[in-house]
Amino acid sequence: MTAHPLLPRELQLVSAFVLVCFLGWVVHLIRGRRLSLRDSLLWLVSTFGVLLLTLFPDALRWMASQLRIEVASNALFAAAILYLALNLLSLTIGVSNSLARLRRLTQECTILRTEVKDLRAQLTSAQQGRGR
Amino acid sequence: MRGLVIVPAFNEAANLPRVLSAIRLTNPTWDIVVVDDGSSDTSAQVAAKMGAVVLRSVLNLGIGGAVQTGFLWAREREYELAVQIDGDDQHDPQFIPALVAPIAAGELDLVIGSRFLEKGGFRSTVLRRVGIGYLSWFLRLRCGARVSDPTSGFRASGRRAIEFFAESYATDYPEPESIALAARSGLRVGEVRVRMRERLTGKSSINAWRTLYYLTKVSLALILLPPGSGELMLNREDSP
Repeated sequence: MTAHPLLPRELQLVSAFVLVCFLGWVVHLIRGRRLSLRDSLLWLVSTFGVLLLTLFPDALRWMASQLRIEVASNALFAAAILYLALNLLSLTIGVSNSLARLRRLTQECTILRTEVKDLRAQLTSAQQGRGR
Repeated sequence: MRGLVIVPAFNEAANLPRVLSAIRLTNPTWDIVVVDDGSSDTSAQVAAKMGAVVLRSVLNLGIGGAVQTGFLWAREREYELAVQIDGDDQHDPQFIPALVAPIAAGELDLVIGSRFLEKGGFRSTVLRRVGIGYLSWFLRLRCGARVSDPTSGFRASGRRAIEFFAESYATDYPEPESIALAARSGLRVGEVRVRMRERLTGKSSINAWRTLYYLTKVSLALILLPPGSGELMLNREDSP
């Protein structure tokens, strides 16, 4: 035990518990097919990384000293913000992708709708022609 | 050459009869497709009654998505020429033959109708003209295309441009960006003088307050253009 522990034992346990619960929830969502593994891989990996930092806070202290951050907890905040920003960016990429696909599908639907209407009209007139 | 007039329309029931009959009158051999971009009024019925093919979108995709739907239709039906004309009666269809002439002659792939190449007609407010002048300069800087009226939605595309726009078209505020994308991909872009009118009913999609936002967004789009290949990127994915 160091003189000024970055994470008191209690806080360490609570954080680890919360992170494990979070990981468990993500895994549960993936197994239930409510979240795709592809889209949640970053969540899994980055949350696991944070869990490691919680279990081994000395790594964080080392990181802070390497980056010349005087208060180690500031390195924690920086890491947390980076963690969120990274996951948010990956989410935005996913949204952009989905929107591009949605646009393309809507256009295809629009065209098909007109094609079907055309065909239906042709069919009706052909049937009327045969009926005569 | 088989030609298609693409008319994107969002709640333009009041203007469509005038627009469509003017197109019919001046260019009787052209087919007309109205892309109803999720209107809540009777635009689709009005257009169908006037004998145009109506492509009715379930969702409002914005002008870029609507125009691209028209290009997809043109590609599917193998049109050799496509002219885009706004559904708000600002563009005079009697200029269509002049607009497609350079394409028919095999000189250009994309022709923009410019209201600034001659005096007269509707020329917009001073503020917007300054903005358009800036965009024209910036467009030339970014992709070498000399277009004096890059925000003009009155334009003609040949077969190569139809194929290209069916695959990749800008989404919002698409006019200047689509010129840049086309030029970057090796399409030959030019312009022809046209006359424009001020719209009679309805309001323009760009109001005065949005001009700055518009300029910023379009400038960013032009700065962030994909690197040019000098060749047609017809098989390029539209999604990132």
